[in-house]
Order: sequence, then structure tokens, then C-alpha cells
Amino acid sequence: MRGKKRKLSFGEVLLYVIITLIVILCTYPFLNVLACSVSGKAAVLGGKVTFYPIDFQLDSYREIFKQQSIWLSMRVSFVVTLSGTALGLALTIAAAYALSKEKLKGRKIISGFLLFTMYFGGGIIPTFIVVHGLGMYDTYAALVVPSAMSVFNFIVMRTFFRELPKELEEAALIDGAGDMKVLFQIALPLSVPIIATIGLFYAVGYWNDYFSSLIYIQSGEKFSLQLRLRQMLFANELNQASVAAEGMGTQAMSESLKMATIVFATLPIIVVYPWLQKYFVKGVMLGSVKG
Amino acid sequence: MKRKRGALYYLKRDFWLYLCVLPVILYYFIFKYLPMAGIVMAFQDYNIFKGVLGSEFVGMENFLKIFKNQQFWNSIRNTLVLNLATLAVSFPLTIGLALMLNELRAVKFKRVSQSLLYLPHFISWVVVAGIAQNLFNMSNGTVNKMLEGIGVGPIPFLSNNAWWVFTYILCNIWKEIGWGTIIYLAALTGVDESLYEAAYLDGATRLQRIRYITLPMIKSVAATMLILNVSKMMSIGLDAPLLLGNTKVMAISEVISTYVYRLGIEKAQYDLATAIGLFQSLVNIVILVAVDRAAKLMGEEGIL
Repeated sequence: MRGKKRKLSFGEVLLYVIITLIVILCTYPFLNVLACSVSGKAAVLGGKVTFYPIDFQLDSYREIFKQQSIWLSMRVSFVVTLSGTALGLALTIAAAYALSKEKLKGRKIISGFLLFTMYFGGGIIPTFIVVHGLGMYDTYAALVVPSAMSVFNFIVMRTFFRELPKELEEAALIDGAGDMKVLFQIALPLSVPIIATIGLFYAVGYWNDYFSSLIYIQSGEKFSLQLRLRQMLFANELNQASVAAEGMGTQAMSESLKMATIVFATLPIIVVYPWLQKYFVKGVMLGSVKG
Repeated sequence: MKRKRGALYYLKRDFWLYLCVLPVILYYFIFKYLPMAGIVMAFQDYNIFKGVLGSEFVGMENFLKIFKNQQFWNSIRNTLVLNLATLAVSFPLTIGLALMLNELRAVKFKRVSQSLLYLPHFISWVVVAGIAQNLFNMSNGTVNKMLEGIGVGPIPFLSNNAWWVFTYILCNIWKEIGWGTIIYLAALTGVDESLYEAAYLDGATRLQRIRYITLPMIKSVAATMLILNVSKMMSIGLDAPLLLGNTKVMAISEVISTYVYRLGIEKAQYDLATAIGLFQSLVNIVILVAVDRAAKLMGEEGIL
């Protein structure tokens, strides 16, 4: 049956219809946000916008360009995402490469030292106190460093390094190359897909992070974009003091502006997604292999 | 027999490898193990000015205090309710979707569908909550306006406890169902095509092929996923309940993680919040070990 031409059965047509409906349902929230962001104020407030814009306007995007706080936050998020991803990848690659070597004495103990943190941890308050004690409070370092490495990504990376063909490495070692030369000239070039996957996971984690900003950052100009967005979206929910403290004032945001900011906060992910998505299925699979 | 060599020999031989690991060990020591030491706060009357080293030890007093607190027990109940309800709905739906995707033969259609279904996994909870607010708002949400059009509602999706649970599950499913299918689809790529061919030639219908070939192939993966999820019953991400929740549904949206956050960060009750965190970690470990044992007894693969 597979690969051979066959008439579509009723069941098959039904299957395609169901999947299409699920995909539409799944995509709808994005379309709705996009449509709302370019629709007139009254139409959005009236809940009339569904799939397409009503009373088309681009004022909300012009408004975003005028909101300095949004630009500042966007810059913070970009810097934090880039540096965090670089740091996370460097730590993960270094540890995974070294601990994938069977000759390394003590690798089981060190791996165990890392894996243990998957099952037990100090919790947010003791971590908060440590970060505070290191003088990181209200600095960008607090947004980058405490969440720099994930054990899950480490396991994925280590599994990948273990599965690299041994012959290449052995040949290089016979030629007199050291471990570092093997890493940079053989292992890394072969690992581009997995590095892309893990890089994507780190980058998305940093880009989407609002909680580190929420607990570690006091000055409004250092807020990440997601936290800024949260303040905008839930200005009425959150207490007025915290809204006033970060300089947004108490004036109500127009719904279109909120939606336009959502578009901005999601755009970078949607832009890189198509380039990286072919890699991450393999990454997820490697991660499911237990350490 | 190999000659035994000293530690120094290996340190010298693999110097660069050890140097690679060093920053990671330091990182884990500072950001994971030091906080573990900070857990002693749970047994102290913690004073910010005296610090962990100078504060007075009070034994189990903090635990007695939280065990007497009704809010604490509510947060545990809510955590279990939300986790169980989400699992009960999303587990079968994820498998169902994976089975349907697996039956698609139009390669392009399948690829595009998968891409679009995976996408919400990468969207932040802040954005999800913002979208939910816009869609499910009582007075002017798009969904309520649509329902009004057919003479239903308005439905308090975000402000009534039961409806809020519904919305919470819906958002979770939207975000993770597509992503959740990956592991099942990957397990199914290993199925030998000739099995299907043979079944087809023997006149098996599509449903029979699914029933007798596809389902057995994902049975062990499904069991593992179920075990993993059950073992995480007591832990819940802070993002979804905190961002979707609001003052009107606090009675159901306050879970352990949000309670720890409010108590510890907002009210600066460090010792009590740490005690709750520790209690949760310990219960987690007990559940993990118990589930692992149970799974092994039932002949499934364990998780430890």
C-alpha cells in the first residue's frame, strides 16, 4: 500500500480533514493575534476580529517604535539570549565532550554530580539568596548565568559525542593530534545539527524567560521583553505600585498595541524556527536515551 | 595486568579534558549545590542580616507552621488536580494525534502539519497567557463573542474555577500536544514497512493495522511517558498557573510553585518558603522511587 497509488478511501479523506482542522485550530491563535494587531481599536475591543483585520491600521506598530521601554527590553532580551546561548553551548560542549571519553578517570562521578541536580535541588529561595550573595542582583549576569546549563542538553550532547565514529578519532590520535584538536577539527564539524538543536533550546529558553527578570531585576530598564510584555498585558491584574515603579504609568494600553508587542516578542522565534526545525527531532530522541 | 598509575598521571595525560569539565563543576557547585546547602534555612528562624550562618536553628518549627496552614494544603491539592487533569486529557490526545499523523502519506502535507503543530511549544507562557486573555475574556474575548453569536454564554473561561481548569488544560494542550507526538512518531519510524505490507496483503483494514502493528510498537514508549508524568505529579511549572491565574481563581490556580514564589519572593518569608520547597522535593523523590519500583514490578522499564 505505501508508495503505491491507490484511490483515497473515505477514511483517508476524513483523516486529512481532521488533521487540517486541528492544524487550523492550532494556528488560529497566531492569526488572531496578527489580525488584532493591525485592526482598529473598536473592532478589537468588541471582540469582532477573528481571522482577518477589521479597520486596518498600522498605528500600533508605529506606537511600538515610539515606546522606548519596549526597545530597551528588546535589546536586553537580545543581549541576554545571545550571551546566554553562547555560554550554555560552551559549557555543555566542553563538559559533554570530556565526559564522553571513556578513558577519563572520574567521569562517572562527575556525571553523577551533574545528574543528581535533575532529581534534587535547593529550590528558588536558596538559589535566589546565592545569586543575591554573589552580587548579581539587578545585573544582567543574573539573567544569564544562573540558568546557563541544563542537564538535559548535556545528556543529549554526550550521547551524540559517544555515537561519533571512533575510527576518525583514532586516526587523528595516531597522527599525533591531542584531544582538543580532535574536538575542534573532528567532533564539532560533525555535530552541527545537534549544536543547532541545543542552541535553539537555549536561545528559546532565554528569549522566553521572564521569571529571572521578575525575581532578580529591579530597574525597569533592565527588564527582559517577556517581563515587559507581562506588565503590559496584565497591568490591571498586577498591583498598581509595581506598574508605576517600572515607569509605564497607569494609562491603559490599547489592545492592538498589546497584540503588536506579542507579535514582536514571538517574531524572532518564528524567524529562526524553519531553519532549525529539521534538526530538533533527532535532538529530542537523543535526550530520551537515559544518561 | 595493567600497572596501577597515580592520579597525577591521569591528570597530566587528560589535562585539557579536565580543564573542560572544571568550569562546569564550578557552575554546578555554585548554582546547584550551594543552594542545596541553603536548605538549612528550612530549619532556621532565618534573618536576612544574620544570614544562613548566623540565624538561629528552630528545629521543625517551620514545618509545623506550614502543615497547619490551610493555604499550603490547598496548593498541594491544586497541584495534583491540575497535573492529573492535564495528564488525563493530554496523554490519550497526544497518542491519538501521533497515530493520525503516522497514517498521513502525503509527505509535504505531513511535514507542514507537523511544523505548525510543533510551533506552540516554542512560544513563551507570557504570550500564551496574553493570547488566552484576548480570546477568552469574559466581556470582549473573541471566543465569547462567537459563542454569543450562536446564543451561548458568555462563559467565564478565566474567572470561574471549573472553567479556569478547562482553560488551563486547553492552553497546555495547545502548547505541548504537537511536541509530545515527536517521541511516538520517532518510535514508529522504526516499524518494519514489510509488516504493514504483509498485513495489507492479508486483507487487514487500516484500523486493524493500527490495532495490531502500530499500537504494540508504541506501547512501551507510552508506558514510559505515563510513568514519567506520574512521577512528576507533585511538581508543576510556575509559568502556566502564575500567568494564567488571577485573583478571581486563586483558590484553584495557587499551586505549590506559585505559593513558594509568593511566600518567599513577595513576602520575603525565606525560611517557610524553603521548608515548603524541601518538603516538595522529598515527596518528589519518594514518588519517583515508588513509581520506578512499581513500574519494574509490572515488567515495564524503570526511570531511574
